[in-house]
Amino acid sequence: MTSGAELLVATVGELSKRAPAVIAAAAHEMMGVTLGLHFEDQSHATLRPNHSRLLAIPERATEPEVEVYFGDRALNLLFDLDRRPVDQVAEQSLDVRGERANVLAVWRTFQILSQRAAGIRSVQLLWLAYRDANPGRWGRLDHAAGEPYAPTAPRGTGWRALDYLDHRHPEDLDLQNATIGGMLAPDTRSIWDGRVSASWWASLLQSDSDLVETMTACRARVRDEMHRMIPDREPRAELYDLIRDYPSREGKGLRPTLTIATCAAFGGRTEDAVRTAAAIELFHNGFLVHDDISDESTHRRSLPTLHEAHGVGLAVNTGDAMNLMAIDGILSNLESLGLGRTLGLIHEVMHMCRETVEGQAIELGWIRKGFVPAADDDYFRMSTKKTGWYTCISPCRMGAVAAGVTNPELLDRFNETFRLVGIAFQIQDDLLNLVGEEALYGKESLGDLLEGKRTVMMIHLFRTASAALRERLQRIIVKSRAEKSPDDVRALLEAMQETGSIEYATGLADRLAHEGVRRFEADLAFVPETEAKGVLRQIANYVTTRAL
Amino acid sequence: MVWSAGHPISQPHATGSLGPVGPFPDGRVRRVLERRWLHYAFLTRDLEFGLVANLAWLGVGAPAAAAPFATGILLVHRRGAGWVSSQFNAHGDEPIWSAFRRPQPLGEEHDFDLRSISGNPAVQLRVARTSQPCTSQCAPFAGDHFLRWQSETGVVARGTWRHNGEICPDREAVGYHERVRGRWGWPELGGWVFGFANDTASRSGAPAHALVFTLIQPLQSEQTTGSVMVWRDGRLVRHFPRRRVSVAVRGILDRNRVTQVPGLSNLLGVPPMSTIPRRLLIHAVMGRDEVLLDFLCDSAARIVIPNETGTRPFSVHEAIGPVTVEGRVSGRTFAFTSSGIVEFAGGAGID
Repeated sequence: MTSGAELLVATVGELSKRAPAVIAAAAHEMMGVTLGLHFEDQSHATLRPNHSRLLAIPERATEPEVEVYFGDRALNLLFDLDRRPVDQVAEQSLDVRGERANVLAVWRTFQILSQRAAGIRSVQLLWLAYRDANPGRWGRLDHAAGEPYAPTAPRGTGWRALDYLDHRHPEDLDLQNATIGGMLAPDTRSIWDGRVSASWWASLLQSDSDLVETMTACRARVRDEMHRMIPDREPRAELYDLIRDYPSREGKGLRPTLTIATCAAFGGRTEDAVRTAAAIELFHNGFLVHDDISDESTHRRSLPTLHEAHGVGLAVNTGDAMNLMAIDGILSNLESLGLGRTLGLIHEVMHMCRETVEGQAIELGWIRKGFVPAADDDYFRMSTKKTGWYTCISPCRMGAVAAGVTNPELLDRFNETFRLVGIAFQIQDDLLNLVGEEALYGKESLGDLLEGKRTVMMIHLFRTASAALRERLQRIIVKSRAEKSPDDVRALLEAMQETGSIEYATGLADRLAHEGVRRFEADLAFVPETEAKGVLRQIANYVTTRAL
Repeated sequence: MVWSAGHPISQPHATGSLGPVGPFPDGRVRRVLERRWLHYAFLTRDLEFGLVANLAWLGVGAPAAAAPFATGILLVHRRGAGWVSSQFNAHGDEPIWSAFRRPQPLGEEHDFDLRSISGNPAVQLRVARTSQPCTSQCAPFAGDHFLRWQSETGVVARGTWRHNGEICPDREAVGYHERVRGRWGWPELGGWVFGFANDTASRSGAPAHALVFTLIQPLQSEQTTGSVMVWRDGRLVRHFPRRRVSVAVRGILDRNRVTQVPGLSNLLGVPPMSTIPRRLLIHAVMGRDEVLLDFLCDSAARIVIPNETGTRPFSVHEAIGPVTVEGRVSGRTFAFTSSGIVEFAGGAGID
């Protein structure tokens, strides 16, 4: 990576994965402005917002509303919090053109990117690589005449601001010694200097965490706990090895992260939530085993489903055992969390399971009757029950209970935010099944169409299709999975493309996700601003910036 | 046996004088928010064990004759194994030892037994003074609220420590003792940073050098006060007043390293507290005298203290970790590395 444009594209790409809340906030500030960037190395890039995403393209913008020229020195300063750009930037190294309101929008966007993304380790590594690859680009300026500015330095004109500007000049930097450490803002703060007091407990400015790393860490921690919960005894081949199968096909780590982060946000420790998170994972995997049988799915996370590999009988039994072990895991919290919190967790588990089986029943009923609901609300209700509770809502609530929060009023504050986020997430998952690559998605591509799954796209298609088309499609969806031909699946997909169902679902997911983020800030304002809450915020934003 | 939460018990004055009437009047606490404490903190010379104990008498208000409410908590830390704590009903033999009972010659040994109801943790020690106390100091704030304290460092304690069921006999510790009296509400008090470090490696008896620092940060920040004090061979040799002291913190201690006590607070569920700093740096300078303390927090116990006048509890984080001290007093330089105990307290006034 040697050009400024490549660096920008890579940075935006990393942040979209690792700090979606930062990207969402930056995109929001950009107010629809298209930005053309030009770098001293002769590379060009275009940056523009698309809903809550930032699109960075390494090409010259065709009709930019704002244009920025970054000299090498200005570019290097962008993420270097040790040196204030106002002191360090040289003339001609930064030029900005555009309408004032648009320029300010871009300025705010870059302010968010530079201030909030600078703490993300992977971004620092990108910039370090860029610096290492371009050691000569850090400009060197001759010192201006006069003494460096200091509060006690003699004034030239007596006008403080003028003297300040007259005396400011870049430091003479030693390029060879520029390290990644130098790019980090020191976080030392004075709490007493003999005059001014600042409480040690005052909320620190919370840095945004790297969501990918956080989810990886939470997933690994919970996976280890889950494996500890599974007995190492006979019958291995017919039961315990099968139980380990699905959990070892690792997902994103959304549920463990939600559980642990919520627990931490309420002052709990990671250990307090790990066992509960592991139990939720066991429930989830147990549901998946049964769900795959119901849906006749052939693949799960890129590998054959359990019943495909070992037969339906063993798969049903394995799913049952997973649910049993999950209950055992919840009960084992008695020793560490005490009776009150464990009872609270049992209550939450019962609710979660009831919602899930009800949701599954609704969907299976629709498929069995060949029924496609007319309203999105029916889908929302089914989706929230079937996946929303155990994917988003219950992990948060159970994390809070593990930290000792059992007040139903407080726990209910999580419901609406994560209901909306959960539905948006599910719609995006369904979209990825239609338009995503199988390698990325993990499940068989177009498997949802084979199953006749009632997705938002399917519901929209049936709602907007002509009577004749609807009748033709109806004949397809009542067929079982085995009876459907590739032509049937293609016909469904083409009809969805023609009626705009895919664009409709994309827009709907975006709107739900944004409403979810809004509710997050409103409903969960009572949760203290901690790093853990930052993680929850990143997850709420994750659905708004997810690449589709 | 006198330490029993909620029961009328005798106060220190009933069994021995705690010093002259004046800064620490030898009368009962009566009014609500009136408080009287005896505080203890020890670290064994091999740095394996640490102890923090606090015994408190709290005024209960009307009826005027009502006996104060008493609480006692004992925490024992073992390196690598973490903290074990009693509830607020730790108990021991009466009268509980205090360096402020007079007369009490240096080196004279006394019993200091304290244990939780369950017997875990517990200590059975023989303690002796080696040093002189500092002059008493007072922090007035929020109108008629005040907190007065007096510290004595270099207290030597030898005996048996019980941590998680394991009994470790014949460990010698050096520590710190303090008496506190005042009248304050937790929200008004704001918080404090307080701690000590003893140079214990070189010999037995009084530490070659010892340091005690206090920074009290009332909610009205202009009322902040504090000090750094230096002892040499058991004598207080320098007192740096608040204007000559600066305090900075850096980083945050991982929440996994914080244990919340007493156990009952986990059952009831309490609001979270701010993360506590990972590192504390204190610098004091006066003329040519100067001292620098660099403390790195390894683990901490959050003691959740009920708040009489607000909804958020007051939290005292007892943090333990390595400490480095460098200084120059009266032309003599000194430096040592040891373990220290620091309290980061606050949180009741966040609402």
